Amino acid sequence: MITIRITDHPILDNAVGNIISFTFNGQEMRGQEGEMVSSALAANGVRSFSIHKVGDAPQGIFCANGQCAQCTVIINGHSQKSCVTPLAEGMEIETLVHFPELPADDVPRKSHKPQELTCDVLIVGGGPSGITAAIELSEQGFSVILVDDKDKLGGKLVLQTHKFFGSMADCYAGTRGTNIGEILEKEIRSRENTHIMTNSTVAAIYSDGKAGVYENNRYYTHISFEALIVAAGARERSLLFPGNDLPGVFGAGAFQTLVNRDLVKASERVLVVGCGNVGLIGAYHALQAGIEVVGIIDIAPNISGYKVHADKIQRMGVPIYLEHTLICAEGEGRVERATIAQVDEDWNPLLETAKTFAVDTVLIAVGLTSADEYYSAGVEGGFPALKTGDAYEIAEASSAMIGGKITGRKMARLLGKDISMPPEWDEKAEILKSAPGKVEKREILLPDEDGYRPVFHCHQEIPCNPCTSVCPHDSIHLTGNTNTIMDLPEFQGKCIGCGLCVLICPGLAITLIRRSTKPGLVEIVLPHEFNHSYQVGNHLPLRDCEGLPLGMGVVRETRFNNKHRTHLITVEVPENIGTKVAGIQTQEEKVTVPLPEPRYSYLPENAIVCRCERISVSELLEFIRENKVEDLNQLKAARLGMGACGGKTCFDLVPRVLQQAGVKKDAIVPGTLRPLAVEISMGTIANQE
Amino acid sequence: MKIYDVIVIGAGSVGLPAAYSLAKKGLSVAVVEKLTSVGQGENKAAIGGIRATHSDPAKIKISKASLAFIRRLKSEFGQNVDYVEGGYLFPVYQPEIADSLKKLLVTQKKADLNIDWISPEDVQEIAPGIKREGLLGGTFSPNDGHLSSLKLAGAFYRMALHEGVNFLFNTKVIGFERGKQRVTAVKTDRESLGTSWVVNAAGAYGRDIGLMVGTELPVYPDSHEAGVTEPVRPFLEPMIVDIEPDEYSDNYYFYQSKEGSVIFCITPRPKRMGTDIRSTSEFLPMVVPRMLNLYPRLRNLKVRRIWRGLYPNTPDGRPIVGYDKEVQGMFHAVGMCGQGLMLGPGLAEIIAQAIAEGQEDQEVFAELSLYRDFSGQELLK
Repeated sequence: MITIRITDHPILDNAVGNIISFTFNGQEMRGQEGEMVSSALAANGVRSFSIHKVGDAPQGIFCANGQCAQCTVIINGHSQKSCVTPLAEGMEIETLVHFPELPADDVPRKSHKPQELTCDVLIVGGGPSGITAAIELSEQGFSVILVDDKDKLGGKLVLQTHKFFGSMADCYAGTRGTNIGEILEKEIRSRENTHIMTNSTVAAIYSDGKAGVYENNRYYTHISFEALIVAAGARERSLLFPGNDLPGVFGAGAFQTLVNRDLVKASERVLVVGCGNVGLIGAYHALQAGIEVVGIIDIAPNISGYKVHADKIQRMGVPIYLEHTLICAEGEGRVERATIAQVDEDWNPLLETAKTFAVDTVLIAVGLTSADEYYSAGVEGGFPALKTGDAYEIAEASSAMIGGKITGRKMARLLGKDISMPPEWDEKAEILKSAPGKVEKREILLPDEDGYRPVFHCHQEIPCNPCTSVCPHDSIHLTGNTNTIMDLPEFQGKCIGCGLCVLICPGLAITLIRRSTKPGLVEIVLPHEFNHSYQVGNHLPLRDCEGLPLGMGVVRETRFNNKHRTHLITVEVPENIGTKVAGIQTQEEKVTVPLPEPRYSYLPENAIVCRCERISVSELLEFIRENKVEDLNQLKAARLGMGACGGKTCFDLVPRVLQQAGVKKDAIVPGTLRPLAVEISMGTIANQE
Repeated sequence: MKIYDVIVIGAGSVGLPAAYSLAKKGLSVAVVEKLTSVGQGENKAAIGGIRATHSDPAKIKISKASLAFIRRLKSEFGQNVDYVEGGYLFPVYQPEIADSLKKLLVTQKKADLNIDWISPEDVQEIAPGIKREGLLGGTFSPNDGHLSSLKLAGAFYRMALHEGVNFLFNTKVIGFERGKQRVTAVKTDRESLGTSWVVNAAGAYGRDIGLMVGTELPVYPDSHEAGVTEPVRPFLEPMIVDIEPDEYSDNYYFYQSKEGSVIFCITPRPKRMGTDIRSTSEFLPMVVPRMLNLYPRLRNLKVRRIWRGLYPNTPDGRPIVGYDKEVQGMFHAVGMCGQGLMLGPGLAEIIAQAIAEGQEDQEVFAELSLYRDFSGQELLK
């Protein structure tokens, strides 16, 4: 059996755990003790976890986050979501076919009432905003219980191998997400009046002022609270295309979980859908994990993510296809091909432009929806309730950190604490959540004299300032019209070529340049976050800021900075391209070449809307027309939203199908999400042994 | 102003089949519903049990008619409502309960109901895995069953649309216009609708409608919470009702739906009066240990969703069905005491015959009259 682990990640350490054996459908496999069963299976090459009752369709990992139920398998006779079940020695795992059998386990056991805990403020979610809110409340003297469903705090920070944007002073800019998560976790764990519950999921916020918590995957516990802060983050939006439920179609979060948390090489070759920061970074993470990226597509005419991210990816050799849509993903029981096509101004595909790529994975990164239903439950219950981070507004983790702090202070005030809100906090929060601003192309000049100077391939206003704070000669400053950290960096003063600005730049958008001792040549120092075997004298393909090929350069020196886990590669190039060189092409062109002929069938109504119940667009359209549906709740009679996830994925997609059926947009009644948020066994609810 | 023969207030378990039956008899019908679509009130909160094995003759008669109608839905109307004729099983562990159920059997058999006392062995065969210790036997009525309330509402909606019924959703009744005696129009927050007849099928809010014409309908809702589990392969056919109370609750009941989920509900003690339908922390710790005590293997079943719905109760536990003596044209069909789903389809024909053909079912109308003495109490609700 093949084992597909990432053993040489440039950023992440591959801490190998205790290797144990288990079986899958009778076949012996090996995995790491305590890792999630889904990852152990994926690392053994398993793609299909269950067989759906509708159409016997194979189901693979989709969310890897305990939200959907596609990765459910039978473990020792019980159906379990494999992405939230830790692997143990000797587990007998089987494919779930349609429905599980209820084990005839008829020995009575003693039930116990839920443990009753109490706090001033319950915080749901231990990501950047939840933690900073908890820190602020603990500072103000309130008792806090922070509940998070993962074993490590930090939310999605723990999946981020890249350095963060934002400001050094407020949100650890320049530090990698994984490390920020660790810093925040350490800080919150040092607080005395704060109780942290990890591996625990808030399953319901009840109207009588209690939360029902699935604690440590073993107990059902009640928490009584005075007030509630919802920092539950966001859910990934899904996308309607035929083949959207094939194993190999992942949400970006699932992909990052497998690759960056569990170091499982989930894919050989991927197509990314969505040019926001999530999609762009997802592609970068794939490359770091040794996975090929054939391209990134977006239906919009512009890149919505940071330009530095898009530039960086394009320099490495990943094409971006704007105004393109995904026609379908196809394959026998798993993704083997994906076809894209250009769209017209009404977003209809132009099939004559279709291109088919041989990929085993399609990564969906088409935006996020706030997970804020507990906020609504809190308001309905009449408790002081606030939401923060992505649960409040989708933005970068940098803005979530200050947002959480503001929310913590706001809650302290709501609970009667006489303390003011520093006005600069709100200003900072506003700046940190800014969308990218205008792009200003700046001319880059060769230095006149000997010695280095930095070159900024950073042309778009984004909230970011680490480069200004590391220069030992204080020679980098932001200049521009906004007078905030949105302004662009500029060099004036002395450069000693230390490379600190190059190392810390989250966009990998700073290089150093100096005249070579050889006439007509210049030396460029480039940041590189990949393992490499470049030797002095090697010729490397170089690219300009936006990824246009510039020809070859010769390696003159390679250095590695362990603190930043970043290489500095010095290349020598002719003067005429010197100021343009911004990065090294790491992916060969042939990877991104489509099949000679497109190969697909175009059946958009076969797309799956409700993944749990496997309801297609065409089935839904028929039901909507026959029943004059305008209310999403009415679709529950067609079983939409009645599955394990309770509408969390499909309720976002249905309005478009309703409009397709002729229902006016403002007539559409949204669906109601009900507790429980996660399925809990009756034995656990009764706290039986 | 649009004019109809009949306006039905409420697109729920009672209003939907009534609208269908009235239209089927050739009347022009409109249904006015304050919520966003069909079955969004108590219908969708109903867990889905359908039985004829009551103790009151009128309820037995109505629900027998319901069952007969439901059995025809698929074959005659092409409507699948996930009906399973799995029967109702009341397992018994306490001798006093055995006595009272056996006493009730006499009445039920007299009403020609297929129900009998069965042995502990038979109970275990019908409900594999049920607690063996102390099991005395139970009553079993094989011709009762369960269905999907959502699908039943959908079925009657489609059938009513097919018969030309007009539905007005997001429309709230705010009053009535009357001639000398008779109701002439229904005033809503959108428009007034002319009519000769009004059927008050407003469920838990039926009393509010009555008050608009000055009639006091003794309908006071209390609430029960319910839940549904993940689906598993079929292991249980009947609805199981445990009527042996504990410290905090009276009966609870559960069954496995055609889709494979176990759906369950409990009656808390004391009753929770009012119309609050937000979920509480009390429900799961109240019902789950009781279910596991009776049926240990349910421990491995995962609870998926919970909700809370209303039982529009009357003082004697019987519905109110019939004409308003003070207001001509006004017909009340309210106070179903949590059994609207199983009574609605049977009532539809009775209502339609009365309004369209002037034929009154004397037995039903007498027993369920608004003007009866409400001091009695049904033996087994």
